[in-house]
Amino acid sequence: MRERAAWMGLLLLGAMVAVGLSVGNQHFLTLTIQTMILATLATSWNILGGFAGQISLGHSAFFGLGALITRELWLGGQAFPLAVMTAVIVTALAAFVVGIPMLRFRDIYFAIGTLALGVAVYITAGNLWPGISSLPAEVLRSYDFTGPYFFALGALVAAVCVSVWLERSRLGLGMMTVREDEEAAKATGVDVFSHKLAAFVISAAVATLAGSAFAYFSVSYYPNFAFSVIWTFEAVLVVFIGGIGTLAGPLLGSIFFILGRDLMPTDVDEFQVVFFGLLFIVVVLLFPGGLSQAAGRLLGRAGERSTATDRPTAARGRS
Amino acid sequence: MLEVEGLEVAYGDLQVVWGVSFRVDRDSIVAILGPNGAGKTTTLLAVMGLLPAKAGSVRFEGEELIGLPTHQIVDRGVVMIPEERAAFQSLTVAENLEVGAYTPRARAEYEETLAEVYEIFPRLAERRKQSAATLSGGERQMLAIGKALMARPRLLILDEPSLGLAPIVVEDIFGVIRRIRDRGVSVLMVEQHVEMALEVADHAYILEMGAIVAQGTGMELEADPRVQEAYLSL
Amino acid sequence: MSQLIAQSIVSGVLLGGVYGLVALGLALSFGVLRVLNVAHGELLMLGGYLAFFAFREWGLDPFVSLPLVFVVMFGFGVLLYLCLFRFVTRTETHTRIKNSLLVSFGLALVLQALAVRFFTADERTISTAYSSEAFTIWSIRVPMVRLAGLVVAIVAAFVLEWVLHRTRFGKALRATSEDWTRAALTGIDVRRIYQIAFAVSAALAAIAGSMVSLGYSVSPSIGLGWTLKALIVVVLAGLGSMRGIVVAGVALGLVESLSSVWIGGQYREVTALVLFLIVLSFRPLGFFGRAAGA
Repeated sequence: MRERAAWMGLLLLGAMVAVGLSVGNQHFLTLTIQTMILATLATSWNILGGFAGQISLGHSAFFGLGALITRELWLGGQAFPLAVMTAVIVTALAAFVVGIPMLRFRDIYFAIGTLALGVAVYITAGNLWPGISSLPAEVLRSYDFTGPYFFALGALVAAVCVSVWLERSRLGLGMMTVREDEEAAKATGVDVFSHKLAAFVISAAVATLAGSAFAYFSVSYYPNFAFSVIWTFEAVLVVFIGGIGTLAGPLLGSIFFILGRDLMPTDVDEFQVVFFGLLFIVVVLLFPGGLSQAAGRLLGRAGERSTATDRPTAARGRS
Repeated sequence: MLEVEGLEVAYGDLQVVWGVSFRVDRDSIVAILGPNGAGKTTTLLAVMGLLPAKAGSVRFEGEELIGLPTHQIVDRGVVMIPEERAAFQSLTVAENLEVGAYTPRARAEYEETLAEVYEIFPRLAERRKQSAATLSGGERQMLAIGKALMARPRLLILDEPSLGLAPIVVEDIFGVIRRIRDRGVSVLMVEQHVEMALEVADHAYILEMGAIVAQGTGMELEADPRVQEAYLSL
Repeated sequence: MSQLIAQSIVSGVLLGGVYGLVALGLALSFGVLRVLNVAHGELLMLGGYLAFFAFREWGLDPFVSLPLVFVVMFGFGVLLYLCLFRFVTRTETHTRIKNSLLVSFGLALVLQALAVRFFTADERTISTAYSSEAFTIWSIRVPMVRLAGLVVAIVAAFVLEWVLHRTRFGKALRATSEDWTRAALTGIDVRRIYQIAFAVSAALAAIAGSMVSLGYSVSPSIGLGWTLKALIVVVLAGLGSMRGIVVAGVALGLVESLSSVWIGGQYREVTALVLFLIVLSFRPLGFFGRAAGA
């Protein structure tokens, strides 16, 4: 089973490379790049929210920080790969420092706390970098989609590789134990706090890659836009619709989201939000496994694992 | 008065109660005894509609209770006192008694019932204005019983009424349970304090691993060698 | 300088009153149903629009339309409970809070998008004949329409406390918020209590919205900001008492306006959020310190 999935993944990757080299359709490339950026971000959120069970609503802070540092260094004259590496390291450090106090909050307090943090960072970024950030003329002259396309593809592959590695490693297993039951995890000797912190830092580092891809791809934007809560919301939406806690979930959800948004009537923008908002509610209430579970069932693969934490459970009772 | 037949209850995939049947006759005290984890509380919660029954029936005076919401079961006159701290800590003693008479049937007789409860438990009258959180363990159990009586029960269900109480207080509580029965309220209780329970019970059932394994009058069970060995440490 | 500080103290207290009013509703739904409704700010937004359109289309004074706004949004609250939150409350507390957060997050997105569609993204303010009226003490201006927000908050808190402590229904509500299982065993119809508590919570958010569109302004995107304010206030005050919540709201308003004097206007929100994180880190278990209405 695993081998087949690996082969399918490689095949898909080959197809993606071929597409990047041959397809010239700008609209199609734009959609694909957007999908890959969102999928990377969603995969990073899934590491923290899906594997370790910590619902963060401040994820945009890391995406934004990644975009900001990458863009500033890159446009300041640094080589792009160096800019990305710096961004990843700085963001991971920031996540480590912030994570220590934030992860003391449990469950919804973590969600509320990270939301407050995300909003505070967003406002601060807007105050400190009020001007629009545009690619300079000499960069624009040689701008095409190939660079951003392959960088976004690389970021996504990295994100998926990290997830695959986590799914198989002791560290990832520990995270899932924490998700299922913190007290039980503690009792079996799992260091709950370090596992949460590891998930937080890894998730932030991967989110940085998504931010870097955004910074590389976008011609001009207000720097605080990358810090907007919208990024968190889209990541959460996509992960739940796709299937939280699974590898395929964030990818499927992102494709569904970007494609769906593109296919819907463009004269009424709000309709898309209403559709995805309602779909999200339905998924949370009725299909905690999301699309990937539904797809898995269709393909007859009942073994596809979904998170147990969000499934409604009977009142915990005594006997 | 209460007839439970073939009751099966499960938490998700984990079945805890396997086809339990018992009955409570009018004006009698019935005890369900058994070790921890035998499914005693689960059975009671299913009777009260707080847990869904997988199979079986619960009839009270001929009416099926399964499917009714809990508050309507209470309104029929089946009132349960859950284990430990059954009164509301954030309410005063008087407020607890007031919400105790929440169903329309109980509300109509509020004043008379309140006088009766204060007569049975004069201590509660003294502490009327105090928060329930400030009461001692025994007083709390009295308040729990008083609050249940406010609902005008015809069948009173108690889950471990002796739990965590000093032996003298336990005796008081069992005395009160007898008095309540003498006033025409049938009693169903779950107990681990087997000796005491067999003494007051007219009929008792032994529940193990989610099934009834023995039953009889209090005296019969007291004489049963299996019961003696397992529960009475004679 | 002292003039400026005095003036910002007054504006802070007035705005803080509205913070308290929004938080009252959130505390009610969270305290009783254990449902964290992050679409609370969107309900405020809807209430604000309702008052605005009632004024513009039918010429209804916002104080006259206040009962109307209350009733309509109470009905909307019942609808939301029956269609959404009823299903959330079927699960145990832990899952319940998490799922309610997610469901209401989806709801917030939907309501905001619908508001943009039907009300446009423009900012709206009710401008009545008395909108610019104010009285002045020691040369500090107190705008009447903003004072109204504080007054409504105080009245709402006292009415709620009276209901919670003096009526049978209120006592049943407190009992339910302490332990719904025991409340059900007491003969209380827990679903009905939930439904009413949620509906009142929505109606209170809407009343706050009326006051916002009268004294300040509403637009489709204000929801999240107000939800955050309400959350901060509830965490600061706990679920202990309704008066405490209004006091905490006023305190938050004060902190914000003073920080905008001392640190700079663009950081007023950030100060409040940082303050909130600090308080939260001293109370990592959050609101459950005390039961509602105790």
